[in-house]
Amino acid sequence: MADALVEFDSVVKKFGDFTAVERMNFTIDEGEFVAIMGPSGCGKTTTLRMLAGLEQPSKGEVRMQGRVMNAVPAHERDTPLVWQSLALFPFLNARENVEFGLQMRGVDAATRRKKALDWLDRLEIGEFAERDISSLSGGQKQRVALARSLVTEPKILLLDEPLSALDANLVIRMQSMLTRLQRELGITFVYVTHSQSEAFAMADRVVIMSRGRIAQIGTPKDIYRAPDNRFVAEFVGRNNIISGKIKSSSGKSVLINGSLGDFKVSLGGRAKPSPGSEGSFVIAADLVRLSSKKPRAGNQIECSLISEEFIGSVVTLFLEARDGSEFKVQIQERELADMDLKHMGKVFVSWDPERAHYIGAD
Amino acid sequence: MPVSGKRTQSALVETTPKRLLSHLLTFKNAVRLPIIIWQALFFIAPLMFMVAMSFFIVRNYRMTEAFEMKNWLKMMGRDYFWDSYGLTIGLATLATLVVMTVAFPAAYTLAFKVSENTRRWAVFLLIIPFFTSYLVRIFSWYVILAESGVINAMLGYIGLGPYIMLNTKFGTIVGYMTLTLPLVIILQTLSLANIDRSLVEAAHNLGCRPWRTVFRIVLPLARTGLIIAAVFCFILSFGDFVSPYYLGGSKPPTLPILIVDTVKSGQQWPRAAVVAVVMMVTLFIVAFGGIAAAYRRRVR
Repeated sequence: MADALVEFDSVVKKFGDFTAVERMNFTIDEGEFVAIMGPSGCGKTTTLRMLAGLEQPSKGEVRMQGRVMNAVPAHERDTPLVWQSLALFPFLNARENVEFGLQMRGVDAATRRKKALDWLDRLEIGEFAERDISSLSGGQKQRVALARSLVTEPKILLLDEPLSALDANLVIRMQSMLTRLQRELGITFVYVTHSQSEAFAMADRVVIMSRGRIAQIGTPKDIYRAPDNRFVAEFVGRNNIISGKIKSSSGKSVLINGSLGDFKVSLGGRAKPSPGSEGSFVIAADLVRLSSKKPRAGNQIECSLISEEFIGSVVTLFLEARDGSEFKVQIQERELADMDLKHMGKVFVSWDPERAHYIGAD
Repeated sequence: MPVSGKRTQSALVETTPKRLLSHLLTFKNAVRLPIIIWQALFFIAPLMFMVAMSFFIVRNYRMTEAFEMKNWLKMMGRDYFWDSYGLTIGLATLATLVVMTVAFPAAYTLAFKVSENTRRWAVFLLIIPFFTSYLVRIFSWYVILAESGVINAMLGYIGLGPYIMLNTKFGTIVGYMTLTLPLVIILQTLSLANIDRSLVEAAHNLGCRPWRTVFRIVLPLARTGLIIAAVFCFILSFGDFVSPYYLGGSKPPTLPILIVDTVKSGQQWPRAAVVAVVMMVTLFIVAFGGIAAAYRRRVR
């Protein structure tokens, strides 16, 4: 692992009796865009703050380029952070905010000014350089905060939900700007968010956290299509989770007997469930077929329609199965228009065994 | 409806005093009225009277209404007035500097280094001194500062002193601090505690050392509260009679002592009024200047 920029080695962080981060192990490579995602209170911000030196681990080591960082105070690290509140200094104007980090490093006034203006230009807010922070819009402030953090040319940039205060259109624009910046600069971005769309849209790798532990690390596609456990499956995307007893296991696939019948699930390789034990699988809402006639064979559930949610080109249908459990289906809006669902009453959802993903008992 | 509407309109036009009264008695004004009356009766009126009085003259130990510049010319022409003015401003400024400096580490600790609960208790404890009369607290300093007092007794053990602390400017400053220190610590603590922590962390994050952060980030952010604390400290010290009189020995006199002296010597109320007006004007300038500086939008 010569490339590892950051290593978390058995890191534990406690606040009094509360354990915010529990035995965390993972590495971040140089030039990687990593998103740390999870519900509030999962320890994602604490993890970021340990990187910045604003919190010290209670146990374990945080290393950067091989150097143990535990005792290095925040002001001696080169780990700029973009705050959720942006934390721009209100008594300085945009340019002075950007110059701050350079000034602390003893850069002379002329160079400082030039670099600050270059960065403001690069982020397309050069014309606001001499404006007070309070007179800038949300998106402009965002760019000032980014410029302030990047002007010192760090190896790593930390971002703590920086887009959560912006409106939806601006979020999309800022996302593409951030990904473009990261590619151009080639530095590591560590991006903390609770938003799946932000994490998946930008990150090379996503770390999902739950109650201070890492639930899964992987590419957005891995996490979306092959969640490791029930938590990730429920937290990410529109997944249906079905549990039951393992009836038989062939090595390549298992037969799971749930309250809605028997389902055949292909195995990815790692899991080796034994017959008789409990098991679950995930079938994503967008990987199922919907039909009015009962399919001849294969995995299927008979449902009735409860409600539908229209978001544009895609529609989510909320169905109810015989045993009262909810089943979500996502289909293209134009497919739905052809189906005349309102008059169908009963519908059948079906899927191939390869589409389902086995996640074990938990 | 049209009929009654017309009547109301004409009635309003005709009875103007009534209309004025009903306007004055709207709820908004009714709420404001007590404070307006209070201010007019007990602040503006006496102030005007005091200004007027500074132009009166005293004949045969009796004050007579007049409009003469004599008092002003006399007071302004005397060195002892200007000495006293300089002394009062000097002592009040010194007290403000000392109190603000001594209070800041305490307030900083209370605002940033202790739990919210500890901070609450500390603010409560800082209010306790105000339970006792200021005069009583000043007299208690006699026991401590006297030539045979607590401090000199203790210094005596290690072969130092005795030092004379009563009836000196040092005594006056101690008195001013007794008056203002708890209040200034409270005001500073509250203004520091209001600072957004993420700004302090952002400064550290950008490479600002802790000490430098205090001057570059904390002080500018707490500016409004800190200046107001300093203004309070100056105003209270500048106008204080008790400390310079009992701990400072009244000689040379500060302006409040000068007022009393002037009245005592030959019933010179008008000349005392001159001193009082000068004090008022000084404090107005300090208060306005301070508040303008406190609320100015940018520092540099």
